[in-house]
Amino acid sequence: MADSHGGPAHDGDSHHSDSHSRVEFEFDGKTIQAEVGQTVTGALHAAGKHVLSRSFKYHRPRGLFCGSGRCPNCLCTVNGTPNVRICTVPAEAGLVVKTQNAWPSVKFDLFSIFDRFHKFMPVGFYYKMMYKPRWMWPVWEKFIRRIAGLGSVDRRNGGDGVYDKLNLFCDVAVVGGGWAGLNAAHEAARSGLSVTLIDDQPELGGHLRFDPHLADASLEHLVRHVRENPAIQVWDRATAFGLYEENYLGIQRGNRMIRLRAREVVVATGGWERPLVFENNDLPGVMLASAAQRLLHLDHAAFEGGAVIVTDNAQGYRIARQLAAAGAQIAAVIDVREYPPPSEFKVIAEHTLAAARGTSHVTGAVVGRFSGQPQATIPCRWIIEAVGFTPANSLLYQNGCKLQHDELRDHAVVKAYARATHSAGAVNGQHDPAAAAIDGRRAGLAAAAALRPHDSRLSADRDELAAQLAAWPTGELASRHYISPSQAKKKFVCLCEDVTEKDVCDAITEGYSNIETLKRYSTVGMGPCQGKMCQAASIAICARENQQSIAQTGVTTARPPEQPLPLGLLAGRALHHALIRRTPMHDWHLRNGATMMDAGNWKRPQVYTTSEDEYAAVRGRAGLVDVSTLGKIELRGRDVVKFLEFIYPNRFENLAVGRVRYGVICDDAGILLDDGTIARLEDQRFFLTTTTGNADAIDSWFRSWLAGKPNLDVRLTNVSGSYAAMNLAGPRSRDVLRKLVSSDLSPAAMPYLAARQCNIVGVPAIVLRIGFVGELGYEIHVPSQYGLHVWEAIVEAGKEFSLAPFGVEAQRLLRLEKKHLLPGTDTDALSNPLEADLPWIVKLDKPDFVGQRSLARASARGARSRLVGFRIEGGQVPEPPALVIHKGKLGGRVTSCSFSPAAGCTVGLAWVPADVSHNGDRIHIQVDGQTVVAVVQDEPFYDPTGEKLKS
Amino acid sequence: MSFQIDCPNCGVRPVWEFHFAGPSRKRPDPDDAALTERQWAEYLYNRPNTCGEQTEWWYHRSACKTWFLARRDTRTNQVLETRLFAPQEAAGG
Repeated sequence: MADSHGGPAHDGDSHHSDSHSRVEFEFDGKTIQAEVGQTVTGALHAAGKHVLSRSFKYHRPRGLFCGSGRCPNCLCTVNGTPNVRICTVPAEAGLVVKTQNAWPSVKFDLFSIFDRFHKFMPVGFYYKMMYKPRWMWPVWEKFIRRIAGLGSVDRRNGGDGVYDKLNLFCDVAVVGGGWAGLNAAHEAARSGLSVTLIDDQPELGGHLRFDPHLADASLEHLVRHVRENPAIQVWDRATAFGLYEENYLGIQRGNRMIRLRAREVVVATGGWERPLVFENNDLPGVMLASAAQRLLHLDHAAFEGGAVIVTDNAQGYRIARQLAAAGAQIAAVIDVREYPPPSEFKVIAEHTLAAARGTSHVTGAVVGRFSGQPQATIPCRWIIEAVGFTPANSLLYQNGCKLQHDELRDHAVVKAYARATHSAGAVNGQHDPAAAAIDGRRAGLAAAAALRPHDSRLSADRDELAAQLAAWPTGELASRHYISPSQAKKKFVCLCEDVTEKDVCDAITEGYSNIETLKRYSTVGMGPCQGKMCQAASIAICARENQQSIAQTGVTTARPPEQPLPLGLLAGRALHHALIRRTPMHDWHLRNGATMMDAGNWKRPQVYTTSEDEYAAVRGRAGLVDVSTLGKIELRGRDVVKFLEFIYPNRFENLAVGRVRYGVICDDAGILLDDGTIARLEDQRFFLTTTTGNADAIDSWFRSWLAGKPNLDVRLTNVSGSYAAMNLAGPRSRDVLRKLVSSDLSPAAMPYLAARQCNIVGVPAIVLRIGFVGELGYEIHVPSQYGLHVWEAIVEAGKEFSLAPFGVEAQRLLRLEKKHLLPGTDTDALSNPLEADLPWIVKLDKPDFVGQRSLARASARGARSRLVGFRIEGGQVPEPPALVIHKGKLGGRVTSCSFSPAAGCTVGLAWVPADVSHNGDRIHIQVDGQTVVAVVQDEPFYDPTGEKLKS
Repeated sequence: MSFQIDCPNCGVRPVWEFHFAGPSRKRPDPDDAALTERQWAEYLYNRPNTCGEQTEWWYHRSACKTWFLARRDTRTNQVLETRLFAPQEAAGG
């Protein structure tokens, strides 16, 4: 039905206002009385407040125009929230409504001087002016920023509450609770499907609610039936703002975003009433017929002073009768048609409205013929336009339906539907309630038939209704009359942006003749209404000026959101989606004074006491660090070795059971992705670790290659969360661990790079003798649930050796002294292992492995730059990414750097040009604008022979 | 994007549960003597930008971690078919 999907929250049902209780609210400092159930605009109308805003560009006075939450005329600040359409706001006690875009007041706005200077603001003036001379721009910018925009955000009031999101599913979603939508929902639910009905009004019924000549008792009956049907979920006061791929609907309901996935969608969004373009058509007192009907029937408003109605259809006479019945005086009905129907009113046939007269409100209507001079001025206070509807088809466009202009009906019709999409009612051009009901039932059955293809009754009934509709009399055809002929300048096409017919014509003359470029250049349709008010007229003018048909002219692309949304709705609450991972020892760390840091999703101890003390403990005695965050993957199967040989550049067929090996992973371009250790626990069982940040990426990487090699017998299990892990390191670590395990830990029995499965305080563990921090050390993996138990046992056993827990900060320094790189910190998306100080790891003589061909090429080409260790004796510590300068140019960057107690000077890692990458070469690093000389060092800065590591 | 994908393991799920990994292409045999540097670079860095149906790799990142093939129409985002990579397609392992 027409208007079934109009503005939101129009709280004006009659049984409320019968109570005659009254409320008071504030409008620009004045107290306004309202009946309960009235809208703010209804109450303001009764109070004689007709100027509600000032226009965007010319600051012309504007009053209630569409009454349905679409046009910009009633945008006000309500309780601190700017740009609220007050025609959709129920009058409630204590509301504070303030007008916008006017100074000092909306009644007397000094900026209305712009209206006199329209000559200096031609179409596209912001492309033509104010950019010369260039030095003036900062002045202009300040001025424009003050002037432009509507309303302002009140930063003190803290926003308008909490926004959140709701995800729902249904079989059939019906958008629009008018006559067609109600019938569609009812019919679809009758077939046993779950139906969701979305309507943006407080009451169902669409425009029948305020066009009593069309409605009958069957409306009330159907509304009650739909409301009470448990199969139908009704969301009223809810605006469907977007229809995305595969029927994903975005819906605003207050501060909540509803995301609804429907198997089938019926769009029954009705129509947008077309404004008429004539001189001064934006004066307060000029309004659309449906706005007058809403005022009359929902707000119980009176129209004092005479009214002139301009029309080309039966709706014009209905509103005339309704106004007359409410006591208004009908000065004249101007009917553009040659043969108007007989009526009790003074009808001026074959004429149109040339202009409205008045300064801040209508005082007269100038009647004119289609050619020649305007003829007479009829004194009146209201001009009511009833010249037809444009289908509200944005959602259909958004969903990918193909629409085409129908010349006979003069509106767009759907030529091809997107999958699982239907439409019904006025959006299809069915304005007759009887036809809209049939169309609604047809669409509901079509949706049901699509979901129940074996139920032949559904498709038969659907086809029967479609046949009825095809035979339906066409009814009134549109007169295509929405632009009054006259040469006047102030004929507004676009109320939002103050674009006149002349502006549109000038833009076309300047070459912006395509409807899309015309929109962007003239800004017609780019304001808050997004073309709902101006679409028909702007297309008609564009077609006329280009001497082409409406169909040839086309329409601008419809994109979500269909109605403006608060940004809070889109942002919403997302906190509960942020995953935080804690290791099993997390609480222990907190109890023991750890400062925690983020490492991907994980929380890790950064430091407990000081990194200096923790460093000293590891180098001198024993330290314990939580490495549960490492990615852990278990591979089992006959072909694991074959798979590892393919994934890693280094060799694995010679990895014996009980041994662990360092490895790096490259992609096919030879880029280093990650590093980790690979332990062979059993002949066909391998235990791999990845870095913390890459755990998911490497898991996915392995699976992707396995997916393409389904013939390999390799089973992958991601055990990252299943194991807690800790690294016990330092010269006394063997003494600590010996207290907790029964197996032989002697260097002969468990040498460097041994991998063992054993029990630690009764807990089965995987123990790897590796040394990331460069000391004798054990990486211990135990089932997560025993992580804290084992950790505490080690801490307890370590007391006599003054064991200290250490954090990431100390760990980073310890590894830097050993020149152990951190993928992603010391490498980037251009780093290959040959250049990243790991050439020994790449075995180019192996059969094909991932990255081999690219690495072979890189090897043949030779390194262009290299990751090297460096030392600085002067005491400066360049912060990464300090630049390395070579021959006056940028040559590389520092990736890690710190003062090293072991080396007694600053040490670091840096990418440097290959020709200064050899031991003893001097490199130049920029520190605070100064150049610092650093010396390249091949050997690790601590324990260069690995004696301690292997002890 | 709000289309849905029928994961071979989990069934129909919204696209944001998945990771897109590009159209499925045969990895050239790096040991093939006839393979030119240009062909190898083409494989590494260029992706066909098909307008129409193509077969792609998708990964069910947020759920079962399955890699599978989907035939999708890039014009409409309609996913026409999903399946696991079949052993017989992996001639040579």
